[in-house]
Amino acid sequence: MKRPARPGIVMDVIRCEHLTKRFGRKVAVDDLTFEVQPARVTGYLGPNGAGKSTTIRAVLGLDTPDAGRALVDGVPYRQAEQPLRRVGALLDAGAVHPGRTARAHLAALAATNHIRRSRIEEVLALTGLADVAQRRIGTYSLGMKQRLGIAAALLGDPPVLIFDEPANGLDPEGIRWIRSLMRSLAGEGRTVLVSSHLMSEMALTVDHLLVIGRGRLLADVPITDFIPAGASLEDAYLNLTESAVEYRTEGTGH
Amino acid sequence: MPTALTGAMACEVIKLRSLRSTWITTLIAVAFGLALSLMDVAHTANAWPHMTTADRAQFDPVGDSLSGFAFAVLAFGVLGVLGISSEYTTGLIRSTLTATPRRTLSYTAKTLVIGGFALLLGELTAFTSFFIGQAVLAKQHLDVGLGTPGVLRAVSCAGLYLFVVTVVGYGLGAVIRHTAGAIAALFALVYLGYGAAKAVEGWSALPSKLMLSNAADTLGQLHPHPLHPERTPSLSFALFDLALYLALALTCGAWRFTRDAA
Repeated sequence: MKRPARPGIVMDVIRCEHLTKRFGRKVAVDDLTFEVQPARVTGYLGPNGAGKSTTIRAVLGLDTPDAGRALVDGVPYRQAEQPLRRVGALLDAGAVHPGRTARAHLAALAATNHIRRSRIEEVLALTGLADVAQRRIGTYSLGMKQRLGIAAALLGDPPVLIFDEPANGLDPEGIRWIRSLMRSLAGEGRTVLVSSHLMSEMALTVDHLLVIGRGRLLADVPITDFIPAGASLEDAYLNLTESAVEYRTEGTGH
Repeated sequence: MPTALTGAMACEVIKLRSLRSTWITTLIAVAFGLALSLMDVAHTANAWPHMTTADRAQFDPVGDSLSGFAFAVLAFGVLGVLGISSEYTTGLIRSTLTATPRRTLSYTAKTLVIGGFALLLGELTAFTSFFIGQAVLAKQHLDVGLGTPGVLRAVSCAGLYLFVVTVVGYGLGAVIRHTAGAIAALFALVYLGYGAAKAVEGWSALPSKLMLSNAADTLGQLHPHPLHPERTPSLSFALFDLALYLALALTCGAWRFTRDAA
């Protein structure tokens, strides 16, 4: 996995320019502009329904924006040659067919981008799935499926990585593992964007924060500048997003 | 030569062969088609000495040796449905489109692999069934060879029909994106459409002539001698039917596949 930090590193940037996406009359992402820089872990935070997943789907070309654009290295994802070698993404652990083995799933993805077969064994070993690679994915726990999603993201050894809720279903050992994985990927000079609702976990992992609420950018700051003295990330985050919460449980005070 | 298309096609080949459902559906399609056809010709061969002239006139050495595929065709269609609908019902499509984000590329690759597989399987089983049938019919000297006029056309068209129904299932799967829904629509189109078209024959025989099953009857027999010529398409009309269904299924599927929100 180790690779030297690349010269000319400014290449590996995720950039959203005035990105707007509507679903019917609801505006999911509203004129969003930001850049995700290499060599650090950027946390992508926001309440449920804030537009995090929509943004990521737009970056990956799964949704077409109504206005604005999302670029990686200045190019829309849909136009990329061999995109798995540019961007690796864990969208959700469910993007698999339960009837297939993990090895077959990865082999199918690897084939699209002409990734060498030995790389499949490497990512299986890296994610701790080597012993279960011949089992059908339907028999996997959520945590194992999550590891498979991470293996798929690493398949093309890409300089840009996007993880949507990577800690979902992972046990404490797995959570520590994904944290150190993201840290080491950023340490190698890669661009790492991670969305999560786990504030304490984010506080341990990320260098930089993007916070959105109701589809708009609320903060784009280094994590050290975001948290006031004596407060936690959770406090700072809840303060910032209080007015932007879309779905709130009954009886929660304002 | 490694290109984006060969890579995407290699992916589709791996996906197709790494699922049990592919093997089971294929096995059912082939086994049912061959077994039912064999039973049909074996019965004819045994009963031939006692058959009436009228019954003998209904005998078709090619059509009878392929008769099982009137039922097995549904398994072919299911193969086409599953080839694409399962991507949507499982969520795999998001992985697929992340790996091959150009929609026309991934749709083309998938279509070529599933269509190619169906064409190969369809022709292979049609010819196998034909040769088994002729071997059985040879006992009564009722067999015909591939060189007999019309035989090659009938056998290859029977395979072609299996291919077209697979692609129709594939197109329905792409449009409906739901396995059960697409199979229901396929069943309606292939089997129930016959009755519906018959019901409106008082106004027009055109719907009947447009039915896939009627087209298959014309194409897959040596001497189409229909009991109801008014609802049976001519040879060229039946070929037009197949082309029409093929084009409609692929066009609608392509239109839907390139839409958003996978």
